[in-house]
Amino acid sequence: MWFDIKLAWRNIFRNKRRTFIAGTAIGVGLASMIFTDALMIGMKDNMIRSATKSFLGEGQIHREGFRLTQEVDKTINNLDGVISRLENEEVVERFTLRAATFGMITSPANVSSVMFYGIQPSSEKFLSQIDDVIEEGAYFKGDQEREIVIGDDLAEILEVGIGDRTVITVTQAETGDLIQEMFRVSGIYKFNVKEMDTGMVFVRLAKAQEMLGIGSDVHEIAIKFEDIHFASKEDNPFWSEYSVDGNEAVSWTTLLPQLEAVLGLFWISLLVMGIILFGIVAFGIVNNMFMSLYERMFEFGVIRAIGTRPSGVRRLILLEAAALSILSIILGIIIGFLITLIFVKTGIDYRGIEIAGTSIHEMLYPVIHIQQFIIYPVAVFAFTLIIGLYPSIVASKMSIAGALRKSL
Amino acid sequence: MEDNGKKIIVTKDVKKYYKEEDIVVKAVRGIDLTIESGEFAAVVGPSGSGKTTFLNVISGLDTPTEGKVWLSGKLLSEMSGKELSDLRRDRIGFIFQAYNLIPVLTVEENIEYVMLLQGVPKEKRHEKVVQILEEIGMGGMEKRFPPKISGGQQQRVAIARAMVSQPELILADEPTANLDQATGGELLDMMRELNKKTGMTFLFSTHDRMVMERADRVITLKDGKIDKDDRKAKN
Repeated sequence: MWFDIKLAWRNIFRNKRRTFIAGTAIGVGLASMIFTDALMIGMKDNMIRSATKSFLGEGQIHREGFRLTQEVDKTINNLDGVISRLENEEVVERFTLRAATFGMITSPANVSSVMFYGIQPSSEKFLSQIDDVIEEGAYFKGDQEREIVIGDDLAEILEVGIGDRTVITVTQAETGDLIQEMFRVSGIYKFNVKEMDTGMVFVRLAKAQEMLGIGSDVHEIAIKFEDIHFASKEDNPFWSEYSVDGNEAVSWTTLLPQLEAVLGLFWISLLVMGIILFGIVAFGIVNNMFMSLYERMFEFGVIRAIGTRPSGVRRLILLEAAALSILSIILGIIIGFLITLIFVKTGIDYRGIEIAGTSIHEMLYPVIHIQQFIIYPVAVFAFTLIIGLYPSIVASKMSIAGALRKSL
Repeated sequence: MEDNGKKIIVTKDVKKYYKEEDIVVKAVRGIDLTIESGEFAAVVGPSGSGKTTFLNVISGLDTPTEGKVWLSGKLLSEMSGKELSDLRRDRIGFIFQAYNLIPVLTVEENIEYVMLLQGVPKEKRHEKVVQILEEIGMGGMEKRFPPKISGGQQQRVAIARAMVSQPELILADEPTANLDQATGGELLDMMRELNKKTGMTFLFSTHDRMVMERADRVITLKDGKIDKDDRKAKN
């Protein structure tokens, strides 16, 4: 076997240029797979962060049924107990309380339906990015209870600016009566997500609670975990532990199913790309092996004539494929690592782009994982051997006399 | 089959036809031949007379269209591909016109290739390689690669490769065709010596007069049949 390995290794260097071209093609294919995988992981993390950090949070707690109906009276049960437990959870980094209901916002020029949120500015800024995307005015800087922060698209619809008056109309919880309050626009934000920029308004939580008549109750607790991946696990016991007393705790994957679907699509596109790349690699290998085979037809005739069994010829060709594969893998790993590393340092600027209702706010950085340098190289190696079977079978079945005539 | 005793090759009405661009070429048209152990014989004839095809058939490299071939008493048509490979490995040594050494293997590695297939241990292989290289006058050239030695030296290595495992039969297809007269003659003399010394059977396919002059038996093929079978008195 050692002799065969030595022979195969030397054979692939007989035509250095061809080996270099084939090896580079396979190596670049592998490098592309490694880079794309790293990019996908980076994009996934970025999108999750963007989606959860914009406003959603990585998880939320509500009263059961609230997410479906958004009814004002469906406030979280046993709020003090829930808050007390959350404060003692090691996995929870931050949380914030929100009141939320459908409402109407009116200006002298126009009217629009909106999602009306009462928030705690001091804790909300750790859970969402409203304060980061303020374009005009300020994010609840003073102590005015009639401050309202709205999106720039909504401001355009209402034809209002900083300091202008708007009226919010909502339904009260107990009585079902409509109540109106005047607010002055104190801040205008821009998330680059149409639904948010046209359909969400924020006031202080206490004022919202007062308007809605829900006392000190809230409709939503948004949670940020110590580890972003913690929330991605839907079978995590955290969700069931907080889905008690008529409440429900859900992760961002439930709140934003379209994002999960898009991420699934990313992996499918990676798979398709992988198949295409592996197809190119396959043609490269088959072409290289057949060129080498036909060039050395007489030589194969000789080694068969002097007693090498067909299995010996198959083994030799497969070892040559393996040797080519190992060279290509080394090259692919180096190229893949260097390219990925460059983009890990510089990042890719997708900021401002909206994907699946999620606006990308951060630079996109590929994420290097050790698995990328194990799984894909092993796959390329196995794939090369599988592809190498074809020329090896052809070589082992050739007519020896026919092969020996090739020199004449 | 009849008792072939010291008959190393026996052919009965061997025919070999093959198609070349829809034309049936009758390369061998019925050859009955017996080669006995220890012979130094040559199959001669002009190009296209069927010499190489006949050698391919009797060595199991090709199958006859009709007829039977026994090699060392074994009927080739009854053997599997694997058995034929093993038979060639253990009983036949091949020498080709264009030397056909593996260029990426050293002289030593080329010679030990067959022994490696036979499972001979490394030390024994090395010992035999050194010994045979001495015999053919190439001692100390074990680590050279074929492209770095002359044509005559390459053919010597090819002869060493064919003989190192001491097969019963050496088949040599135009072994002197690519050599100058002096080198060719020298190699033929060397093979003649080895034939005498070891008792190995040599069968040449050639149209080289030097081979014919040295052979004990000259079988002349014409149009795929034996035209003449001349035996000389042994020296």
